[in-house]
Amino acid sequence: MSGLFQLSKVETLVAQDQKLIFTLASYVLILIIYINLNLPQSPILGLAASLSYFLINGIFLGRAFFEKEPAFFRLMFGVLLLIMLLGFVGWLVIIIYNLDVTRFTLVLFIVATLSSLLNKRVENKNVT
Amino acid sequence: MSPNRQGFPKLLHIGEILYLFLIALSFYLLFLSRTGEARTVWEVLHPAFIPTLFVTTSLLLTILLASREGAHNLLFVIVHSILIHSLFSIVFPAGDLSGQQMALGRTRLVYDNAILHGWPPWPIETIQSQIYTRFGGINFQAALSVIFARMLSIDLLWVHLFLVPVLGGVFTPIAVYLTTYTFTKNKKVAVLASLLISAFPYATYFGAISVPNSLGFIFFFYSLYFMLKNLDSNDSKTTFLMLAFSFFSLLSHNLTGIISFSLLFLSLAFKSYRGEKSPSITAKISLVTSFILCASLLPFSLIYLRLFRAGTYTAFTLEKFYELPLEEIAGLFLIGELTYGFNLETILLNVIGPALALLYMIYRLYRLKKNPTAEFRIHLFFLSAAFLMILVDYRILKLFMEKLPLNEERLWVFRDFIAAPFVALAIYAAGSSLKTFLKATSLPTISLSSLKALPKRTVLHVLSLIFTLNFAGLRALCKRNSLRILSMLFTLNILIPLVLGGWITLSLSAAYPQVAPLQTTWYELEAVKYIEENTKEKYVVIGDSWTIFAGEMIVGLNNPRAYYFGEYNKTGYDLFVNMKQEPSPQWMLLAMNYTDTTTAYFIVTEPRLGTEEYNRVVTQALQNDDIQVYGVFGEGKLYVFYYEK
Repeated sequence: MSGLFQLSKVETLVAQDQKLIFTLASYVLILIIYINLNLPQSPILGLAASLSYFLINGIFLGRAFFEKEPAFFRLMFGVLLLIMLLGFVGWLVIIIYNLDVTRFTLVLFIVATLSSLLNKRVENKNVT
Repeated sequence: MSPNRQGFPKLLHIGEILYLFLIALSFYLLFLSRTGEARTVWEVLHPAFIPTLFVTTSLLLTILLASREGAHNLLFVIVHSILIHSLFSIVFPAGDLSGQQMALGRTRLVYDNAILHGWPPWPIETIQSQIYTRFGGINFQAALSVIFARMLSIDLLWVHLFLVPVLGGVFTPIAVYLTTYTFTKNKKVAVLASLLISAFPYATYFGAISVPNSLGFIFFFYSLYFMLKNLDSNDSKTTFLMLAFSFFSLLSHNLTGIISFSLLFLSLAFKSYRGEKSPSITAKISLVTSFILCASLLPFSLIYLRLFRAGTYTAFTLEKFYELPLEEIAGLFLIGELTYGFNLETILLNVIGPALALLYMIYRLYRLKKNPTAEFRIHLFFLSAAFLMILVDYRILKLFMEKLPLNEERLWVFRDFIAAPFVALAIYAAGSSLKTFLKATSLPTISLSSLKALPKRTVLHVLSLIFTLNFAGLRALCKRNSLRILSMLFTLNILIPLVLGGWITLSLSAAYPQVAPLQTTWYELEAVKYIEENTKEKYVVIGDSWTIFAGEMIVGLNNPRAYYFGEYNKTGYDLFVNMKQEPSPQWMLLAMNYTDTTTAYFIVTEPRLGTEEYNRVVTQALQNDDIQVYGVFGEGKLYVFYYEK
């Protein structure tokens, strides 16, 4: 129960995204993933950055689409939607040209921006 | 809260900790089973793995049945699900020797930027074929695998092997849970169903291999969940998600997409039927017509697949009725492909779940007839119709069609997904009935907490009888009224978890093949990696299809820089046969000219050719001064020869 409570607190904090701090954090994570891919190629760094990216954007999408679901399912749905979105944008990029490191970074950026926008839309609705 | 109730969570927490320990042990035993040379997982599984898995599963079931929490236990089910879907990926160095290696061969090209505009690399003539190949699923899966591999900075091979086992392991139990909960509103049944999906062999098999079809199944499961939600909701988000998951199901694989859209249309028909205040005969007829139309979508789309995919000749036929004996037709109708060459255990394991679900479905529908205002009536009708549609479609494909582009048994995964909630409901109803019956015989309580109320000596006595399977002794004890409670505890908290745990564990024997060709070996992988790492020029490899499987996993298929012929490429096959018969540079030159490369390698492997043939080919090749030995791997089991222009 305390675990779920903690998750709920983290989720609220991320979803509020005050001054777009978590959106910016998401962009920083993309930069870390990009640098890691080009220089140290550390799976541990990659895993840490990717998990954080998934957590932030999963929460954004979970909030945007599954507000009424319990916190656990909201997060899981958010992560699933994020995977779908990454796959879809990645698929489009492959069909248009290819998915090299630069275009891959672009995919992460597009998906993070979309997730943030969708989350902001719901947050603004809730405020009004 | 009574003292018994206070003690109850403690027991449960101990059980949960024990479960976590056992699941970690199961993973460890699976890692110990890892091998570089085997045909099936059964040859090399650690002897303690299956018993440990059985105990772990039974303990998990005990926790699920005893606990009051629903979603909380789902995490345990997810870990369990990942474990049983990971046998191929953990035990074999290159996963299952199947379509998943072919999928990786194509994904590798995207990962290495060796192709533009996705698979296939060659020009496609017609617009329909372009639509089919771009939407064919392989590019969508490639996008996911490449994105994950780049995000995690690990090799594509690892991401690909674990893509579906992890995604399916995490998201399938959640989908089953949500689907079941939508029409039962019972968390215990829902969480039980999420575990019971593991008792369906085909669902487990497709959750263990990373192919586009498996990804499609995951999205299908969620599309079905949103279809159910949409039946009694007018929320635009639900409608959007229902459509989105159906679309992604189609994007992953055409089979899952067609079934998703068929069921989507069916669900809309049910929704409109439900909207009628007092359904008329016309409404009922229109519902039946919708069912027939939706059921015919799959067979007809397979027929018209020829418009999109060249070389597809699927057609309706009555040939089987003319050619096959009546008993074989009856066998195909009842149990499908299982008619041929499977043992009774495999048949039972494949049939028992769906049969139980069907029987319970019929029972529930019969009950609904008596209660027209029952809650979730429309959900039950829709799910039953969906189940029936899959059964009908399977039989149409099996008996009335020929030259299908896929094996019909893939439909069993859809069937199993719909069946799992009903099996859980049936088991839960049986348990509840037993509870009611035993309560009626004036017993005080039936929960696990009652155990604490009994003297420790009595508990130990009974447990010793249970574990030594001394049922006669148990019965004698149970005759005494003070111990009848333990017989209930035994039945509800021990016997049911043991039986279900045994069922789930046994199902693995039907899910993972008992007979298979030699999987990609460590020395085949080592050889192709060695060639790739030590060749600067463009090269081509002549080898059998097993070598191609290994090669395409490392460098991709038809990679112009490191060329492996397609798995079914006739030129590649002929070149290998010629080299095998007479190892000579002329075939290697021919291969180089054909692929515009400057170095050619020829790989022969002893277990693939047989010792006698292998020795002959190697001896002949060694005698030819023009061909040089490039490397020997697997303690002499694999030779690589090379020739440069």
